[in-house]
Amino acid sequence: MAQDVTPVEWIDLPEESLTPREQRLERAATVLRWGAIANGALAIILIVLAFLGGLKIIPNLFTTLHTLLLGRFSSADDAALATVILLILVDISLVLVLMIGILAREIWALPAIWLVVAVNIVGVVLLGFTPAIFSIIAAVWSGIIISRDVRAFRINPVMLKELRGRMRGVRAFIVLTIYLGLMSGFTALLYLIYTPLAQAGGSASAGSIGRVLFVGLVAVELLLIIFIAPAFTAGAITGERERQTYDLLRTTLLASPSFVIGKLESALSYILLLLFSAIPLQSIAFLFGGVTELELIFSFVILAVTAIALGTVGIYFSAITPRTLSASIRSYTIALAVTFGIPIILSLPFLNAFVNAVAGYGSGVSSSPVVESILIYIGLILVSLNPVATALTAQQLLTDRQVIGFWSVTLSSDGSTIPLVSPWISFSIAYLVISTVLIVLAVRQMRKVEA
Amino acid sequence: MSLIIETKELVKRYGKFSAVNGLSLEVPLGSIYGFVGPNGAGKTTTMRMLTTLTRPTNGKAWIAGHSVTDEPRAVRRAIGYMPDEFGVYDDMRVWEYLDFFAACYDIAESERKRLIEDLLELVDLSHRREDMVDKLSRGMKQRLSLARTLAHDPAVLILDEPASGLDPRARVEIRELLVQLAKMGKTIFFSSHILADVAEICTHIGIVEAGQMVVQGSMDEMRAQLMPHREIMVTVRDNEAAEAVKSLVAEMENVVNVTILEPKAGRSRVRIDFTGDDDGVAAVNQKLHGAAIAILGFSEETKDLESMFMRVTKGIVT
Repeated sequence: MAQDVTPVEWIDLPEESLTPREQRLERAATVLRWGAIANGALAIILIVLAFLGGLKIIPNLFTTLHTLLLGRFSSADDAALATVILLILVDISLVLVLMIGILAREIWALPAIWLVVAVNIVGVVLLGFTPAIFSIIAAVWSGIIISRDVRAFRINPVMLKELRGRMRGVRAFIVLTIYLGLMSGFTALLYLIYTPLAQAGGSASAGSIGRVLFVGLVAVELLLIIFIAPAFTAGAITGERERQTYDLLRTTLLASPSFVIGKLESALSYILLLLFSAIPLQSIAFLFGGVTELELIFSFVILAVTAIALGTVGIYFSAITPRTLSASIRSYTIALAVTFGIPIILSLPFLNAFVNAVAGYGSGVSSSPVVESILIYIGLILVSLNPVATALTAQQLLTDRQVIGFWSVTLSSDGSTIPLVSPWISFSIAYLVISTVLIVLAVRQMRKVEA
Repeated sequence: MSLIIETKELVKRYGKFSAVNGLSLEVPLGSIYGFVGPNGAGKTTTMRMLTTLTRPTNGKAWIAGHSVTDEPRAVRRAIGYMPDEFGVYDDMRVWEYLDFFAACYDIAESERKRLIEDLLELVDLSHRREDMVDKLSRGMKQRLSLARTLAHDPAVLILDEPASGLDPRARVEIRELLVQLAKMGKTIFFSSHILADVAEICTHIGIVEAGQMVVQGSMDEMRAQLMPHREIMVTVRDNEAAEAVKSLVAEMENVVNVTILEPKAGRSRVRIDFTGDDDGVAAVNQKLHGAAIAILGFSEETKDLESMFMRVTKGIVT
């Protein structure tokens, strides 16, 4: 008791207040954090080497790296290097998501560990992707640490609470019904308007009708996500403050990551429910043909990743602002800037290089191969930050050239080729990494004690 | 006597304003501690520091041996906190409310069902199990809140104004519940600005004013400090007579203080603070009779906690 021990002994012993179970979870998360850092460091080194190699400063660099890092990949050396960098980025986002899952003690974190290991082993076996070793070590190590504590992983209480409230009674089902009714009406309208127009224009192939229906529905869903994802999460923390329940939660043992992830999961699960319930409508497009299953998968991935990212933006602003209103305004500003602002930047003339590359023309923007490739990469990055541009570009690449993952462009300046990736991959990586960073920042904000 | 809550020179400043100004608190294990003071005295701020919600500007505080600033999680494990406002989740049933908080305290799902039944029974809400939380009366909400604070079986309950805004019946129910919890071995630290709430059930009391502890100790100590201290009111015709009484009595044994009060209804009054026993009071009376002063009234005022409260808290609220 307080009298028996001098005050000095309690100072600077934060470890003491964690139970052994919590300490193990922390340790597992630390291991994964170092895994991500090791991957990140390697990615930076490789990007620097890629520039050096591209400028031909070190001879045979690409060939050496190719055999070293991606031995079984039978493509060009520079494409191999780009692939390695991309795979490392994929690994970073996987490991970061896993880290947050473990910190929040999410039940999905357990299979996710073995998924990360399995994906990386497949990478090693099929491609000879040696950097996978970082992620495998980190995942296995953290898996061993928490293997004694699988019971720590449970259904997130915050998600359970939110979903109980949201799905109670008939309201949720009425909302869902109205949503599906509106979507069906929109599909019918699109069909009724487009068919006579196309017949008048003489191009009424069934495939083009299917395509229009599909693209129209995905566009509506995207718009829906842009408007509801921030709305669901912008009140996550401010709402608790306004209801005066935030202090109650903070005096419990609920960890901040659990809280943030629970709020995010409850918002996302409802959005996913909306997306899934509209899939039958999207499949009407298959009746007409002209749309492939891959397009459906791409569109779903892009919509889901957009929902995750905008949801975390909402949570982040909810953590750093005092009121729901200001959090909503900021989240919508970001959501609108990203979805409608980036296309305006993309339409700037000097960025034509990437658009031309996608269309298969020579870019013709510069006589220097370095400048030309840099412009193309900047174009790819910008497109990857915008869900609409990503969806359209990925679809164009898929239908015109059957590009699913990797592709390359022949530079018009010197005829050499540079490797590129379909934007849906870079988009997903960028948005997932941004989301994890925002979650970490929101958690840090929540952990601050009122001074 | 071991202490479960201890603070040393706790200070909380907001800018230039000191909400808590060097507060030292000692709450013994197993006590019911009434933390009394006028509104704005710093009670809530102190509780927020003890519950790790606010960092003290200065000073130290320990709960169950854990430092509030250095081991917040250990402190949270040891306390159940009920703020003065009841946080309501709309769209939540009574059992779901308890289930959620039990889950936040990391209690396994298999144990929660029984726990909820036990808690509801304890606070006599079993029959409202399936009702919506926001449909409960204020008294029931308060009892539900109390059940929530008990979910993880903490050693200390920190309750901010548990009886405020309740009707008399609900107030009694809460009071009985607190006594029952104390019997179960919980230490209860609760604040109130109504002394009557405190006096009946507390074993210990601390009176706080302007962010500082005015007086604290066990109820017995407080009574002991108070009881020998009597107040005798002597009513005489005019000020002259009052002065005579004062000079006469001032030299007597056991008289602490003699004050001439403002005349009331044309009569002068003298207040004698006296620490002697009944014989002493009789002696004072006799002495006054012996002198040639016309006495209109001689009475002993009973002093209760309320008047002590009024005297120690001089009404200075920052």
